[in-house]
Amino acid sequence: MGIDMQFTTLFQQIINGLSLGSVYALIAVGYSLVYSILSFSNFAHGGFLVVGGYICYGLLSGLDVYGYFTIPPFNIWLAGLNALIGAGFIAVLTERLAYKPIRERTSMTLYLLIASMGVSIVIENIFVIVVGGRFRALPQDIFQDVFAVLEKILGFFGLQSTREGSSHLFNLGGNVTVSMFDILSLIVAVLFLGGLQLFLRRTRWGLAIRAAACDLRTAGLMGVNVSLLIGIVFFVAGVLAAIGGIFLSFRYTLYPQLGGITTKAFVAAVIGGLGSLPGAVVGSLILGLAEMLSTGFISSQMRDLVVFSLLVIMLLVKPAGFFGKQISDKI
Amino acid sequence: MTPAAAGSLLEARNIHVSYGAIKALQGFSLSLNEREIVSVIGANGAGKSTFMNAVMGMVKRDEGDVFLDGKRLSRKSYRVVQSGLSLVPEGRKVFAPLTVLENLQIGAFPRAGQGNIAKDMEWVFSLFPRLKERKDQLAGTLSGGEQQMLAIGRALMARPRVLLLDEPSLGLAPIIICDIFAELRRINEEGVSILLVEQNARQALLLSHRAYILQTGRLLKEGVSSDLLADPEIKEAYLGTKSR
Ligand SMILES: Nc1ncnc2c1ncn2[C@@H]1O[C@H](COP(=O)(O)OP(=O)(O)O)[C@@H](O)[C@H]1O
Ligand SMILES: [Mg+2]
Repeated sequence: MGIDMQFTTLFQQIINGLSLGSVYALIAVGYSLVYSILSFSNFAHGGFLVVGGYICYGLLSGLDVYGYFTIPPFNIWLAGLNALIGAGFIAVLTERLAYKPIRERTSMTLYLLIASMGVSIVIENIFVIVVGGRFRALPQDIFQDVFAVLEKILGFFGLQSTREGSSHLFNLGGNVTVSMFDILSLIVAVLFLGGLQLFLRRTRWGLAIRAAACDLRTAGLMGVNVSLLIGIVFFVAGVLAAIGGIFLSFRYTLYPQLGGITTKAFVAAVIGGLGSLPGAVVGSLILGLAEMLSTGFISSQMRDLVVFSLLVIMLLVKPAGFFGKQISDKI
Repeated sequence: MTPAAAGSLLEARNIHVSYGAIKALQGFSLSLNEREIVSVIGANGAGKSTFMNAVMGMVKRDEGDVFLDGKRLSRKSYRVVQSGLSLVPEGRKVFAPLTVLENLQIGAFPRAGQGNIAKDMEWVFSLFPRLKERKDQLAGTLSGGEQQMLAIGRALMARPRVLLLDEPSLGLAPIIICDIFAELRRINEEGVSILLVEQNARQALLLSHRAYILQTGRLLKEGVSSDLLADPEIKEAYLGTKSR
């Protein structure tokens, strides 16, 4: 294989890496947001992602609840919207039932961490019991309509689209092709992360959240209803996790342990600097790129090794991560 | 109860607070009249911060109630702020990663955009012109004195009826303390009632109309500030006249 071929692989894997990284970013940002406010690692975050994935899957295929009532199949827009709201709601519920009682009794965040591990196990097993542990494939064909719109838009910029079997591809010139699905997940991630940024920078509650990330107690002294603020933060984290969950179920498959992939988002958040949102995004992109480049040039078995080596190196060289602040002024 | 308690603006009655086995406040009461400056003086660990936090709903009261205009205050701190009390916390607690402007904006949070926030911002800038010069700077880069000004300005942005200050002189140079206390007098003259808690007894007594002396969670003495300044017992214990 020549230099040309190498270059094609490089380019292709960079795009794949960015796409995967952007999905990690959705998960890592929500996780980091919660961490920035409550200073604990919410291990139930992966559960929110699974909730989103299953709601979307269930609504896409139509539900038959033990013969009592049936729900006809939804289109992807409605199924997705319900999944996001549902996961956001479950995230808020988790906080109210499992974390709030602890928060009100102690300021030791270790208890929250342990509770979140418990919640994560509970969510996983609820799905094992209710829908079974089977792997479920979600066909990317469901995005037909969306792809058609994307094809038009990108066609406008002179980009050729092709099909290979059931996958929709784009020709970026040369032999470089990118799947439409990768582009879609990249676009959706950018839209939601941009929306979050606007919310945090331009709104009254966004400012309150940034203040709370600096000092939750003092934010309460500013007349902010801290309980409501935490609810909003969990809702946002749940929504972002659900988007990640939906894209991951289409990319791989959906199963009750899919939430385990959040480990990657944790790693990304640590590399970027725990609690820092830009850090979470940068860390996620680095991780996505590292995974895809090692898949392309070494082997796909090596990707997790590369990911965790990155984590170890980062912890040794710069323990606070790229954007990490001192504990006294974390954001 | 003092005569001043009748029809006062803010009244705290028989406040008890404990942290586990530690009884930090054991039945402390206080009243503040409209347009008055009242100070609470006490040594380190006397329970001053605990009292302020108990009023604001930041720590749980075992017993006791707080009234504003005769109406019982909520125990939820965001509601306390909404009803017109703003605390400048001990150690200033400005939001270091936010700009000076953002710190002031968050102060106006309970108003939900009501009233003329821009006008109040100008008022704060007229009180503390240095904040205007530094409005786009991160609060964490300000000096201690400037951070104290910012913390006061931030509390004023809520347009409080009562401004509560927890040791505003802490860790500041004497000349800065004078500046800040002069501004507090001006703020009071513009109609804001002030409840001040201090270890720096001399400054507090010079500024306030009346004062309460707090000792290990209980009232030791109360009275008109100028009388307390002249009181031999107070002089010895809190003003350090003998040693200095
Ligand atoms: N969070 C806390 N947990 C346990 N004890 C506390 C806490 N805060 C204050 N105390 C104790 O309560 C007493 C009063 O403290 P504080 O109100 O901070 O006093 P002051 O502000 O007058 O210095 C002290 O004995 C202090 O050690
Ligand atoms: Mg104190």
